[in-house]
Amino acid sequence: MSVQNITKHYGRIRAVDGLSVEVRKGDVFGLLGPNGSGKTTTLSILLDLVRADKGSFEWFGKPPSKESRKKIGSVIESPNFFPYLNAVQNLEIVSRIKDFPPDDIDRVLKVTSLYDRRRSKFKTFSFGMKQRLAVASALLGNPDVLILDEPTNGLDPLGIAQIRDIVLEVASQGITIILASHLLDEVQKICTHVAVLNKGNKLFSGKVSEVLAISDSFELWSTVPENLAKAISLHPRFKNAEKNGNMLLVHFNGVVTAEEINSFLFSKGVVLSHLAERKRSLEQHFLELLQDNK
Amino acid sequence: MIKLLRIELKKILTYKIFWILTGLYFLFLALGIMMAEFMINSSVNQINSHMPIPIPHVRLYFFPEIWQNITFFAGIRYVLIFPAIVIIILITNEFTYKTIRQNIVNGMSKEEFLVSKLEIILILSLIITLVIGIASIVLGLVNSDDRSLSIVFGNSLFILGFFIEILSFLVLAFFFGFMFRNTGVAIALFTLYVLIVEPVLYFVLKIPSLHLKGVSTYLPVNSVIRVVEYPAIPFLKKTMGFVLQDHVSFLTCMVPLLYSAVLIGIVFWVMRKKDL
Repeated sequence: MSVQNITKHYGRIRAVDGLSVEVRKGDVFGLLGPNGSGKTTTLSILLDLVRADKGSFEWFGKPPSKESRKKIGSVIESPNFFPYLNAVQNLEIVSRIKDFPPDDIDRVLKVTSLYDRRRSKFKTFSFGMKQRLAVASALLGNPDVLILDEPTNGLDPLGIAQIRDIVLEVASQGITIILASHLLDEVQKICTHVAVLNKGNKLFSGKVSEVLAISDSFELWSTVPENLAKAISLHPRFKNAEKNGNMLLVHFNGVVTAEEINSFLFSKGVVLSHLAERKRSLEQHFLELLQDNK
Repeated sequence: MIKLLRIELKKILTYKIFWILTGLYFLFLALGIMMAEFMINSSVNQINSHMPIPIPHVRLYFFPEIWQNITFFAGIRYVLIFPAIVIIILITNEFTYKTIRQNIVNGMSKEEFLVSKLEIILILSLIITLVIGIASIVLGLVNSDDRSLSIVFGNSLFILGFFIEILSFLVLAFFFGFMFRNTGVAIALFTLYVLIVEPVLYFVLKIPSLHLKGVSTYLPVNSVIRVVEYPAIPFLKKTMGFVLQDHVSFLTCMVPLLYSAVLIGIVFWVMRKKDL
């Protein structure tokens, strides 16, 4: 899937502003951004619900068509089904639209633990069950790509865990997943790649593991804190230090390794009793990215 | 085409409101047909009590006049509005439940979605026409003495006229459903237009000083109703040689069909442009 330069205005508001993204086969791609950052609009454009004002996109290396949509399973925002039909009847409609025989329905209902309630009307379902039915419908016929827009939004912790387990299970089968979320934790747990959006702009994109690898802070602790503070401030990449009880939290400019700090301090005559790398969580990184953009 | 129809039937067949409203249409129609003859004759009785020579009772449901009379009652706007509301609900439900979005996302094109709704309109029109046709034949056979084929099917073209009436009326409902998307708003505006706005407009246009009398008959709903505009009352014909309408004219059929084509065109154009 690739997107070139798409833009969508709603009146004077730019929901998506010149966005370009590429998702390769097998990626678990997170589209991360606060509410109103253009995630849903982007997915709506990709699924032909909304027409982009500018730009273009491709699925499977071809211009989008209803045939390409049949190979994509999607959960968009809220679960959309007929309330007076039961789970099986609702999925039969989906199967028919996608030109699949209805034999896959039992399987997806079992995967989402809805099989026992398959003859219950959709309106009798709890919100968690509705959302699972949406996932079940997206999984019908083993799609090549799974699109999930805020799949855990509004769910209780158990519901969130259930959805995540299903998604991780699907991801392990090598199905490409595009997940939009404002929950960093979710993206961190599920995705291999991430793009951070804000106000319709892409702030950052890359591998989740790379984002996590950046560490520029260390926790230091010595029996003689005054000496430690003095010595570390002499480090060429020193940025600033915060005192946190006995602990000293030191930030550096750029990447510094633990060995380098240890040997540097030792050469200044300071012996450390504690040295720990402070990995920035995606969350901090995300907040910083948003901050920088203001 | 068959695939779309099967999807559509899946959506409808277990939907209670569909059956209730369609049932109400037939119920009101049956009541109307029964009441009409009874009411006319009870006023005939009243008149007869003051007259030296009694007027014969009016009989509406024998061949061949039954075709015109039943299709006239079935085509009254107050009755036709029931299946029209069914169509509006079936369309606006898709927006309320957002199932139209889901259908598109799952691989239906917008055009296919519109065609699936048009297919339902066609099927519903056919079924209602068929039921009314069968009812006319049964009721006619019970009431008529002359059962020769030429008499039985003498005025049966009225059933075709009725089919055009209901089809184009439901297309108008289709238009309102897709334009307003919200069930309440679409039903309210449709009812308001059909029962109030257009009748008022019709009378305003007929004011002689405006010189617009010709236009009044070409209003959308009026052009539909006009296909079978009057009932056949044999008594008037026999005693006074007075006939309001005795056939379905090709030209009056073309006007609602033309409206339908234009309305369908507008809906396709707007849906292609607008986001869901």
